[in-house]
Amino acid sequence: MSAKPESIEQIIAQKHIECLHRGFHVWPALEYGKPPAMGDSRWTADLILSTWMQAETGQPPSNGLEYRTGQSGGGFDVLHLKFLPPEHWLADDAAIDLSIPLNRRDYDRQIRIPVPFYGAGMSYGSISENVMLARAMAARKWDTFTCTGEGGYPESLVSYKDHVITQIATGMFGVREETIQCAPIIEFKYAQGAKPGLGGHLLGDKATTTVAQMRESVPWVSLFSPFPFHSVYSVEDHKKHIDWVKTINPAALVSVKVSTPTDIDMVTVGSYYAGAHIVQIDGSYGGTGAAPEIAKKNIAMPTELAIPRVHRYLVAEGIRDELVVMASGGLRTAHDIAKVIALGADGAILGTAELVALGCTRCSNCERGRGCPFGLTTTDPELQRLVEPEWGAARLSNLYQSFQSELRTILRQLGLQNIRDLRGRKDLLLYRGDVKAS
Amino acid sequence: MSNEVELSEKLIRSRQRLSPAVSPPLRKEEGEGGCGVIGIACNEKIAGRHLLQSLAQMRNRGNGKGGGIAAVGLAAGELGVTQNILENDYLLSVAYLDPGARTEVERTSIVPTFEIDSVFQVPHVDAEQSLPTLEVCPPEVVLYFVRVKANAIGKFQEENGLGLSTCSEALLSHIEDEIIYQNSYRLNRAFYASEGEKRAFVLSHGKNLLVLKMVGYGDDVVRYYQLENFHAHVWIGHHRYPTKGRVWHPGGAHPFAGLHEALVHNGDFANYASICEHLAQRNIQPLFLTDTEVSVLVFDLLHRTYGYPLEYVFEALAPTTERDFTLLPEEKQRIYRQLQTTHIHGSPDGPWFFLVAHSDPVERAYRLIGITDTSMLRPQVFALQQGDVSIGFAASEKQAIDAALESLSREDARFWSRADLYWNARGGSHTDGGAFVFRVHPGSPQAKDGPSGVEHACNGSAEFACTDKFGRSIQANQTKMPFHNNPSANTVASPPDVPAQELFTWVKDRVRSWSPDSLLEFLRGLERSASSNENRKRAFEVLTLLMDRRYPTGRLRRSCLLSAFDQSLVNVVASIRRSPSKAFAVVTADDDLSRAIADCETLVLDAIGFAPEGECSLARAIVRLYQQGHRRFAIARAKGQRFIANGLGPDTSGLRIDVYGSPGDYLASGIDGAEVVVHGSGQDQVAQIMKDGRLCIYGDVGQTFLYAAKGGEAFVLGNAAGRPLINAVGHPRVVINGTCLDYLAESCMAGDPLHGGGFVVVNGVSFDDDGRLFELDTPYPGCNLFSLSSGGAIYLRDPHGKVSEDQLNGGQFAPMQAADWALIRPYLEENERLFGIPLQQLLQINGPALSGEQIYRKVQPHALQALQAEEAWVKMQS
Repeated sequence: MSAKPESIEQIIAQKHIECLHRGFHVWPALEYGKPPAMGDSRWTADLILSTWMQAETGQPPSNGLEYRTGQSGGGFDVLHLKFLPPEHWLADDAAIDLSIPLNRRDYDRQIRIPVPFYGAGMSYGSISENVMLARAMAARKWDTFTCTGEGGYPESLVSYKDHVITQIATGMFGVREETIQCAPIIEFKYAQGAKPGLGGHLLGDKATTTVAQMRESVPWVSLFSPFPFHSVYSVEDHKKHIDWVKTINPAALVSVKVSTPTDIDMVTVGSYYAGAHIVQIDGSYGGTGAAPEIAKKNIAMPTELAIPRVHRYLVAEGIRDELVVMASGGLRTAHDIAKVIALGADGAILGTAELVALGCTRCSNCERGRGCPFGLTTTDPELQRLVEPEWGAARLSNLYQSFQSELRTILRQLGLQNIRDLRGRKDLLLYRGDVKAS
Repeated sequence: MSNEVELSEKLIRSRQRLSPAVSPPLRKEEGEGGCGVIGIACNEKIAGRHLLQSLAQMRNRGNGKGGGIAAVGLAAGELGVTQNILENDYLLSVAYLDPGARTEVERTSIVPTFEIDSVFQVPHVDAEQSLPTLEVCPPEVVLYFVRVKANAIGKFQEENGLGLSTCSEALLSHIEDEIIYQNSYRLNRAFYASEGEKRAFVLSHGKNLLVLKMVGYGDDVVRYYQLENFHAHVWIGHHRYPTKGRVWHPGGAHPFAGLHEALVHNGDFANYASICEHLAQRNIQPLFLTDTEVSVLVFDLLHRTYGYPLEYVFEALAPTTERDFTLLPEEKQRIYRQLQTTHIHGSPDGPWFFLVAHSDPVERAYRLIGITDTSMLRPQVFALQQGDVSIGFAASEKQAIDAALESLSREDARFWSRADLYWNARGGSHTDGGAFVFRVHPGSPQAKDGPSGVEHACNGSAEFACTDKFGRSIQANQTKMPFHNNPSANTVASPPDVPAQELFTWVKDRVRSWSPDSLLEFLRGLERSASSNENRKRAFEVLTLLMDRRYPTGRLRRSCLLSAFDQSLVNVVASIRRSPSKAFAVVTADDDLSRAIADCETLVLDAIGFAPEGECSLARAIVRLYQQGHRRFAIARAKGQRFIANGLGPDTSGLRIDVYGSPGDYLASGIDGAEVVVHGSGQDQVAQIMKDGRLCIYGDVGQTFLYAAKGGEAFVLGNAAGRPLINAVGHPRVVINGTCLDYLAESCMAGDPLHGGGFVVVNGVSFDDDGRLFELDTPYPGCNLFSLSSGGAIYLRDPHGKVSEDQLNGGQFAPMQAADWALIRPYLEENERLFGIPLQQLLQINGPALSGEQIYRKVQPHALQALQAEEAWVKMQS
């Protein structure tokens, strides 16, 4: 922790933090058994605790915690990787390449990340600046990316700008030419139906003075991010959007984040023709913690349905190798990442998993200004002190370390030398809907 | 009445045998949504080449995977037929993807049912040579001029209980129409839509109507089928942006034909399955599985089969709703309610803008129809020019209209480069119904084609009229005479040697009594004098003032004046290019911008030749030159160039850009301190995310003006379209002198204007053709004021209290106080300085002068229930 405590508040805060950190260590160690009311069938107590352990140690747990799948009875939990018999595994010291390109077109800058994942957009306002900094620091360390989300680009992130994607969403909060100009990748976020209110809705008690400053709005008043872009109602408008961004920053790569309607394939192809380099397919399992369950879980198609569909369609169109498809929406573990790549994605984008690594227990109080017991989804100046950026960065870095190690193991056991060979290998997946994960 | 109902029902029943009982499709096979459209209607036939520039400038709205045109009111001689055949025969246009199919198609689907009066093979260029970028070879097209054989008519009557004894001309005509329709359906099913290879399909089959389309851009169609010298009264053109399907087929391109109409579409609606169901219940099955096709099938169903007048067709497609419905007269409400109840499931739900080219063989009239959806989600512009020739336009973008006028005026002195009127439709409204019809009705036999590609009618041109959905007429002010900008005017008058402002006043005082020659003499003199630095600056300034300001123009048509000023400016720029001086340099698209351009006071960029977007665009050129250190730009002859003043980055105060011509969209988006002045109208997405600086528009703006703007000042002389200031935050300060379509300040979060926040003043005034200020019917015709908003304020100039409570959605009227007046007054004073709209006059129309607080009304967002009780703690922080 930092230097000498200055005040009684500082002492209390430190003690609180110590307790939290002790909890993050003790519970996964199973010293007191598993917390009886933690988690749900997707993010089971095992998955939450094993994420904490990976965030601490940089390796998957070896004390029996289930760290690969959940208990939802569906989705990735009933898809199993068909590992080869051990005699066919690649050697332990075999070089396994986990890198993926983020631009498959033969023009515009080439960016490659050494691991097949990066961080999802979470806005300043929905989460704290400290959390954003932690994510940016980890992204830089791992030469991958994090994303600012829709709330603007905090000044403190500028020194990490080579690893920060900036998002242009329907409310265009904090979008200025200079934020577009400093980002290597610009992400357009289309469609946010699964949020409280009409589109994105930052409740008044999270719209602090600082948030308002960043978004140039009035403090303590709810902010709406509409569900459509009011300038994009047709695919050629989408192309104009991309043209606009390229006029401001010709070198930037463009990512388009879309939800998964039934015509997701047409949406993806439309984005391709409009000039996007990356299409992020955001399936139904994820979503902001601030939205009501009924909205979140009943909108759009699950990730594991959408991805193979898009992959198959792009292959048939002959353009699969010109577009990067990133999957997001409830990807929790290295196994989920491997499975979604096997279904057809190039890589994965992590949202909730990163917050869990920082202590989130999925209690779903994110929408209130002082709802988050761990100081993650808050902009309250006191509460956000619970997360120190350096500590957070170390946690995320350990998680990435563990994912990297797991992914390498998975590939070795599938007899593959690089992650790109796993793409679209549905034949390496087995659906076992009637068998509970062991 | 019952005869017509009976006929409709029998016609519908007669289609039962057309297709097997299959479920109507649930999904579109072809995905699309994007597009660019242009439509032209003229009371003299005009040549297809005049579409080329418009379509080329709108290419960014398509992706080259589909393009097409429709032409109505054709020239019989160009198709090798007599006028009689052209008017009375059905023009069956068949596309052969497999030329070998022709024999079989004719044998099975044409000869048995039709008397063939003439056959015409549409000529085309060699694709490989002339259009090497085409991915798919366009189909061969053969035109058959046919009538239905008498025995086929007899057979149809018999099979469908349409008795021989009571057969009128009109009834026979309906039957013939229906036989044509069904025959084409069968042909398409047999040769295109079936399981096998796609071999042939019917492009169109109406009378005096021709559709041509292919896999390519709309302008490719004109070039491939050699339509440059093909004439018609009405044209519609389209670029498609399909997103699905690897193998592209011309059958998916627009336009799609109904019977005597062809339709192109920009948009994408959500209820395709519902519309298919609606059609299936009337035994109509779509074949090409796109939403555009079902749109024209619905149009044909309503207009031909049900015999609805156009007004009812429009209502069924774009129902009048909400407040607009309540403002309709009672009789209309009654009928519209019935229409809506019956047809709601056949009404396209989503963003759409339709252009229809319609041939009316009964009235012998030709129509261009533009209809926009109720939510006004697609951009649309209409325009009109009426001189010796009358011409009307409807398009996705204003710059496309200007391009067509430019093309026409270059060749034919009876056209000039600016329209008399430009306007937007208010979809589903009680004001114009969101639909406009240009109707051409030739009176007398047609005459020869002139060299300019526009026919000269011997006995007078055809009748021409423009009406809205309710039949109200729109026309240019015909009391003022158009004149030609004759480049070889003999005399030149030297302008008096006075500074710009004085010279402008001198001209202003005289122009009301000048003849065209006097004006042109003056302009030539001004141009000629523009050799020294001082005189060049003066010429620029005077011409700018003449374009921007409003003043009486005597007998002279204002749009012709503007056209002449445009040309004068171009001439001045050309002379600067020939001999640059210290104050000016001209940069063109051919110049190498990597080398530094010498410093000068004003850098003039001649927009011609710059790409509309991309690395070689005008926008990027401005960025590069700005980075070199230039701070004052004038853009001349903008022709649809987009993103002007974008990409300059933060802190651009000190930069000034003047724009002349027809700029494209996203103008001044993201500016942070710069000053941008547009001497004309802007288009859509003007000043998106604007942060700081000043924007001045001497005309109108399009959709989503100042979307998510954060600050700065904007002054608009004319109107804004839909959704201005939507999602604005911070403190933009805006004056709109005209009005806006709807959804003003939706989701606005711009704080409290009295404490540094943002506001918009809407004056609801306009200038007549003599520069007199007058009040519009209402300062704001729409609804949804401040819907979902939490900040900002609207100051409406509304002395007569026209705006009512039911137009507020999230807003509320608030008392207009001294502090409010003190806030907006300086902006209105600036408004006066910029546009010549005297504040005193704003306070005093049709009556004694009143105070600002009495004339203006304040609207602010509802007090939001911001925080709940348990959040009382947050108040301690602020």
